[in-house]
Parts: sequence; C-alpha cells; structure tokens
Amino acid sequence: MTQEVAQASSQVVMGTSFWVATAIFLLAYGIIVTDKIHKTIVAIVGASLMILLSIVTQEDAFHSTELGVDWNVVFLLVSMMIIINIMKPTGVFEYIAIKSAKAAKGQPFMIMAIFSTVTAVVSAFLDNVTTVLLIAPVTLLICEALELDVVPFLITEALASNIGGTATLIGDPPNIMIASKAQLDFMAFVYHLTPVIIVVLIAYIISIKFIFGRRLKVREELRQRVMAMNELDAIKDPALLKKSLAVLAVTITGFVMHGALHMQPATIALSGAGLLLLVSGTKEPHHILAEAEWTTLFFFIGLFIIIGGVVKVGLIKWMSIQVLDLTRGNLFGTAMIVMWFSAFASAFIDNIPYVATMNPLIVDMAKQLWPDLSGLQLLHHPDLMPLWWSLALGACLGGNGTAIGASANVIVCGMAEKMGRPIAFRKFMLYGMPLMVESVIICTVYVWLRYYVLKI
Amino acid sequence: MKAKDLMIPLYEHLTPDTSLKDAVRLLRDAKRGEEKVGVKGLPVLDSQTRLVGMLTMHDVLRAVYPAYLAMMNLGDFTWEGMIDSLAKQAGDRPVSAFMTNVVVTVRETDPLMECIDHMLKSRIKRVPVINAGGAVVGMLYERDIFFAVAKKMLDEPNGGVL
Repeated sequence: MTQEVAQASSQVVMGTSFWVATAIFLLAYGIIVTDKIHKTIVAIVGASLMILLSIVTQEDAFHSTELGVDWNVVFLLVSMMIIINIMKPTGVFEYIAIKSAKAAKGQPFMIMAIFSTVTAVVSAFLDNVTTVLLIAPVTLLICEALELDVVPFLITEALASNIGGTATLIGDPPNIMIASKAQLDFMAFVYHLTPVIIVVLIAYIISIKFIFGRRLKVREELRQRVMAMNELDAIKDPALLKKSLAVLAVTITGFVMHGALHMQPATIALSGAGLLLLVSGTKEPHHILAEAEWTTLFFFIGLFIIIGGVVKVGLIKWMSIQVLDLTRGNLFGTAMIVMWFSAFASAFIDNIPYVATMNPLIVDMAKQLWPDLSGLQLLHHPDLMPLWWSLALGACLGGNGTAIGASANVIVCGMAEKMGRPIAFRKFMLYGMPLMVESVIICTVYVWLRYYVLKI
Repeated sequence: MKAKDLMIPLYEHLTPDTSLKDAVRLLRDAKRGEEKVGVKGLPVLDSQTRLVGMLTMHDVLRAVYPAYLAMMNLGDFTWEGMIDSLAKQAGDRPVSAFMTNVVVTVRETDPLMECIDHMLKSRIKRVPVINAGGAVVGMLYERDIFFAVAKKMLDEPNGGVL
C-alpha cells in the first residue's frame, strides 16, 4: 500500500499553477474563518481569481460537472427557498408552533421537547436556518407568556434543527452536496441516515430533560395565557395554504421517487417551485424571488469554483493520498477519522466549504483505491459507502459543537442578543459540545455495527 | 416664509441618558406653543447641546413592542397584561436605546418649501431647527406647516383657527 501511495504521490505535479491555486484556496478559507470580510464576497473574489489567473477556464467553472459549479445544489436550494417564501404568509408555521405549545399543555419541558422534535422534523425537509427563523419568534412569544428564560429553548432548537437536518438528502446543505457528488438518491439517505438520526434525537431529548428539565417551572395562571391562544387565528390565507400543502406533498413524493424516476433532486424541487408559483396565482413574483437567500447561493457558487481550481491542480488528490497514507488503506479507520475529524472541523468552521473540499477528496481517494473503476461503480463501491455516510453524519452533527458551528446556531445567538439575552460562546459550547459528542458516539457505534459487523 | 417663522422655540429636550420613563413624562407634559400640551417628538441633545437623536411617540410604542411579533404574524397571540410588564421593563432603560439616531434637520433660514421637501422625502412629521452654530433652537411641526398652507389656500389671515 505504502509503495502504491508513494507512486500515486508522484502523479501530482506541483508547478506554478498548483501553488497559485493552493494560495487562493488557503487565503479564501483563512479569511472566511476569521470573518473579516463577508464569506460570500470572499468566495466570489476567490472564484474570479481562479478564472482570471487561468487555473480553471470559464468553461470549466460554469459548465464542467467535475470542476465547476454544482447547479444541482444551487437549483435545489433556490427552489426550496421559493416554496418556503410562498408558504410563509399563509401562517402555517405559526399554526404548527402554537398548536405544539398547546399540545404540551403549556408545561415548560414538554414545550421544549415538542418544539425540539418539531424543529428536527421540519428541518429534515426545510433548510435549518429557515426552520429556526420560523420557530424562534414563536418560542420568544411563548417564553414571554410563561415568563421563562428563552435561552435554553433557543439553544435546544438550534441543536435539534442540525440533528433533524442530517436525516434526509434535502435537510442540510452538506447532504445536498454529498448526494449530488456521490449521486445518492433521497431514499438512500432515508435508508442509511434517518434510522440513526431517530436514535440520536431520542437520546438528545432524554439528555436535555436531564440538563434543563428540573429548572423549568411555570405558574398556573401563566400556563392559561398559552392555553387561551387559538392556533386557527394564525392561518391568514387558507386557500393558498391548501395549494401549498398539496404542492409540497407532490414535491416530497417526487423526492421519494426521484431515484426510481432517474431524475435529479433539483429537477423535482424546481418543478415544485414552478408549480407553486403557477397555482399560487401571484401576479408579482419579484418579491418571492428576491427573498431567496442570494448571499448563501453565491457563497456556494463561489466555493464550487474555488474547489474546482484546487481539484484541477491536484491539491485535493495530494490531500487524499496523505489521508490514505495515514490510514494505510484501512477503510474502517478512514471512516472513523472522516466522521470525527468532520465533526470537530464543522464545530469551528463552516461545514459547507468543508464538505465542498471533502467531496472531491473522497472521490480521489476512491480513484487511488480502485483505479480500474469509474462512474457509479466507483462512487457506490460498497467499501466507499460508509465513508459518505460518515462524512454526512460528522459534518452535519459537528455543527452543534459551538455557537459558530452551524448557521442555525448563529441565527439563534443573534436573536437572543437582539432580545437583550446574549448567549456567550462558552455557554453555548458548554451545552453544544457534550451533546454533539454524544450524537457522534451514537453514529460511530451505528456505522461500525451496520457496515462493518452486520454488513447490511 | 422661513423655518424660523413657524418653528416652536425649544422649551424642552431629552438627553441620551434620560430614562424612557422620564422621557415619556416629558413627552406627555411638554409645552408646544401657547396652551398646547404634549408633543409627539423631542430632540435628544448631548451635554454640549449637540443633536444626537430624536425620540417620538412612535419610538415609545416600538420600545414596548417585542421584536418577535414583527418577525412573524403573531399579533393574534397576545394576552392581557402583556404591555404592563414590557412597559415597566422598557421604562428603566435609557432614551439612547430607543431614539432614532439619524436625524434630518433644517436651518432657521431654510425656506418653507425646503422644509416640506425634507419632511415628505424622509417621511417625518417634525424636524429640529438648528442655527448657524449647529445648536437646536426649535422644532418645526407638520401641524404648524399645515396651518401655514391652509392660510394660503383658504385666503384667511389666521388659517381658519378660531
């Protein structure tokens, strides 16, 4: 093995373009980590430098599947954003949240558990940030009514959104990126990730019961404030709501079947967005489209081009060789390293650029291991599959480690600050880190048991 | 006609450290010309009497209005007594937390049309008037400009006020 690795190492030519591309990559990631310049601006400037300095051609950047922008990811994201933007004014999200608080009978821990579960389930289908932005305002309202400290509720919801988002292909951007790169379909994620995420979520709810349960007490008359709320008041546009739910159901059915239909998830999402725009009867799509998260979308676009540059010059290949060298080709060891390294890396850096780098790295690693294979035979090699799942689990769940690990965490901290209840970095980590480690331990046992002992 | 002809000379003002409670009391009781009591907005001046902001009734409503209600459609889910506790919390906080920082001003010598231009473009109903030294000398209110306009329109010497 070591000899083969040494041989492969020599295939990477470290010329001028190698170092130029590596410098752009390191500089861009360095600036993104320090937060000195907005990450989207860094990504756009880095991408344009890759093209300007002829590391990649514009053709590569815009049209190559291997080196360019992954439009599957971009269109899936933008389409889901459009669907949510149309649904938001119907009041359905307020309805679900108020209904949940009442189902919990205004009991504080029950509210925390149900809100966390609802957040996790909604996050499995919608983007985590969107989910948190929808649940947090209602949480603030309910906590005000019950005269409870909102901070534990906001933290538990952010963590739950990251857990739930891990469950499906469309739940979290890393999964969308992995699915597109590894050509895995929606049902593969349901089959391989959803079961372990259900276990992680149950363990999480039990854990927060121990952490927060005893502290949460509420007076009877305050409970009545919540019980007096009528969730039906939330529904502002029942006609649009019915149409939206119908289109959402069709879209999710489409996701479930996209593998069997041989269609990309972005095709399904774009069709859903188009259909909902059509049936919603909106005369002016301008604001619905303008409200899409363009900064996030351009962050992805820029990153894909930067990564394309370092893939083209062989940096990623060189890195994959080093990883294989380290693990001496032991794939169980590699899977474990990928999962735990991803978890701790994602706790401190954005998991989107991280996964954007790891995806081609895993493909390159597979090419080293099975040089005769290509296409799906290579990407779906039975020994490679646990690596994809370990990457997804580590990168998604790792975000829970710190206040900056995931966008949802950043959002709730920002909201708490705005409400005059700032959450210190250390306070978030005190809860987030142990709960993150707990979830990754569960995943470690799961991957080991399922793929290396039971081999199913 | 110029700003100084219509402005109400500055009787009262707020400072950034004034508590919202005291500010509200002043807004309620402040003189606004002859015999009229209560103003919709007061300028906030620092210790060197430089203008640093404005506090209006609108800002007071915003002070008791929780941000989460604005984030989503949650106006249907409030309860009796909600304002009581929020008003008490806000009352002890300083004016600087709620005032509008960017303030449009007019000079004493600005023609009335220029004042109207500022008020309409900035969507404000009251504007501080400053002298050549930059000190606030008075307030120009929409209502007083309305009377001036009415006077021209109705061709009545006192603008119809009895």
